[in-house]
Amino acid sequence: MADDSESTRSDDRIAAMLRHYEVERFYYAEAALLDSHRYEEWLALFSDDAHYFMPIRRTRTQREMDKEFTKPGEMAFFDDTKILLAGRIAKLKTGRSWAEDPPSRTRHLITNIRVVKDEGGRLEVESNFHVYRTRLNSEETSWIGSRRDVLRCVGRSFLIADRRIFLEQTVLLSRNLSNFF
Amino acid sequence: MKEESTAIATEEIDGLVSLERGEVDRRIYSDPTIFELEMERIFGRAWLLLCHESQIPEPGDFFQSVMGRDNVLVVRQKDGSIKAMLNTCAHRGNAVCRAEEGNAKSFLCTYHGWSYGIDGRLNGVPGLNIFYNGELDKSRHGLASVAQVANYKGFVFGTHDSSAPPLEEFLGPTGRLGLDTIALRGDMEVVPGIQKFVIECNWKIAVDNLFDWYHPQITHASAFQPNVLPSTSRPQVRAERIDLSGVNMQSGAALDLPGNGIIGSKFETVVVLGEYGHAIGGPTTTSTGYFEFAPDWRDSPRAKAALGPVGSIVAGHPNIFPNAWATGALPQISLRIPRDPSHTEIWWFTFVDRNMPREMRDFMVSTACRIFGPAGVLEQDDGENWAQATAQARGLASRRMKHLLKMGLGRGTIIKEGGLSRIEGLTSEYGQLWTYYSWAQWMKGLSWDELKTATTPGDTI
Repeated sequence: MADDSESTRSDDRIAAMLRHYEVERFYYAEAALLDSHRYEEWLALFSDDAHYFMPIRRTRTQREMDKEFTKPGEMAFFDDTKILLAGRIAKLKTGRSWAEDPPSRTRHLITNIRVVKDEGGRLEVESNFHVYRTRLNSEETSWIGSRRDVLRCVGRSFLIADRRIFLEQTVLLSRNLSNFF
Repeated sequence: MKEESTAIATEEIDGLVSLERGEVDRRIYSDPTIFELEMERIFGRAWLLLCHESQIPEPGDFFQSVMGRDNVLVVRQKDGSIKAMLNTCAHRGNAVCRAEEGNAKSFLCTYHGWSYGIDGRLNGVPGLNIFYNGELDKSRHGLASVAQVANYKGFVFGTHDSSAPPLEEFLGPTGRLGLDTIALRGDMEVVPGIQKFVIECNWKIAVDNLFDWYHPQITHASAFQPNVLPSTSRPQVRAERIDLSGVNMQSGAALDLPGNGIIGSKFETVVVLGEYGHAIGGPTTTSTGYFEFAPDWRDSPRAKAALGPVGSIVAGHPNIFPNAWATGALPQISLRIPRDPSHTEIWWFTFVDRNMPREMRDFMVSTACRIFGPAGVLEQDDGENWAQATAQARGLASRRMKHLLKMGLGRGTIIKEGGLSRIEGLTSEYGQLWTYYSWAQWMKGLSWDELKTATTPGDTI
């Protein structure tokens, strides 16, 4: 019987590796779409009921860490549905979205991917990002933070049903957030 | 004796802003000497908005604010009153609180352990008896209070000047109307989460932009599109289009503007000019440029009575001099906090009526996140203009050119009614010009009486 349980454990590990590989590939493809400004294709990675939320972070004492980030229903930097994200993308495509013309140059580095919950058809995934941006000749921004996504399995790929973006900044040290995370 | 780190002669200050020619010297956006003088003569004297009382409802609740370059702790007291104190230890100057907001039972300086009550009283000094031989008088070394603190309809202000006139008098009818356009919308509270970000611009460029109804159609051309901004509750009327001949994009194509609302069209505005430099500018409530997302608040008997006949037509943007912008599309206040001549921190406070239905509240909050702030479909494009205008004020040759505020110059007839001075007509630059003119008066270091006289609008502009 020992052999059986060993092979079950090994099957589990292989399944987890496969899962990790699928998620990783999904995120790398997503990052490539963002960095090449293919925003409509990027948007198609979201479910119709998706929520895209970047809370405001506040410097608070250790005993009030539960209030560090704002929550849905409170103010945020992004609090968008898929329709609202579509509006932002429509804005970028008008040819008059001056903050993005000349376009900023971004590189999304996605790391430390962890599937923290796998319910078969629904995953909760945490990842870290480093979004590096340059604008014009001298403006340079680094946004580092983490994302917590709910992914829905669709065939061999996923849809993002919920994305929370947590920046490692309280006062945002850049003049705008004209990019996506 | 006046404590003055710098001095610029009055004639030199007068030369920086010309009300007659509608010109502003670019030096005021880059010169560190001028910035130092602003810290002293404007931010060291004016009543400055610190926060809203709803942010600190319980005893010990605090919000850390800024007055010039002083960090200030605004703290709710046990008796319900609000105190504002400098966030600096009486011993060696360390900050006694390093959180932006929260609740405190006391403030501990983490340098040597001097401990203060939420009222600023010095309660504990390590080794008071052993090291100080019990000779340090604790009652004399509390946190320094801000010279004056006052509350107008929930908005908490402070001034470093103990001789400043009372807050309501400083605000005057124009400043009060500006704040009323938020306060009258209901039982208002700040939604948790103050958006804060930094733009590489001079603070005055961010301030004067709020009166500028000439720029939205260009700067925000990409935002005023279906599905980008929510539609307002009033149908957008097709108005007379403005002339755009010769206005071409870099590609050579003509800039095409839809010609409705405030975009590419002609609309009625009203500009209110007030004492001490307060002003309000923008569309009237009946003009095609009017776009509040929840305009019903004006219909309540309370609002009608308080606004009066003049206030009820004003739907533009108020600025409480020097740097508090109350915006009305959604009730929000933005502080433009100077950090140095070319860096400004922008803070957004968003208000909702406590009694608002949940669905409406959620709509207001999500819309507020999407309009202004760094990701806002409007403000992300604003920052670009302000940063570049600031940068171009540094060049030797560029700096010799003036900023022009000539729109409507000499044609503004000031109508005085109900304590307010207003100019009716189309889009103009009177609000900006008034702000700069008043700025120059503040910069001269006049007495409060002289300042009020100098900033009392005349008959024309």
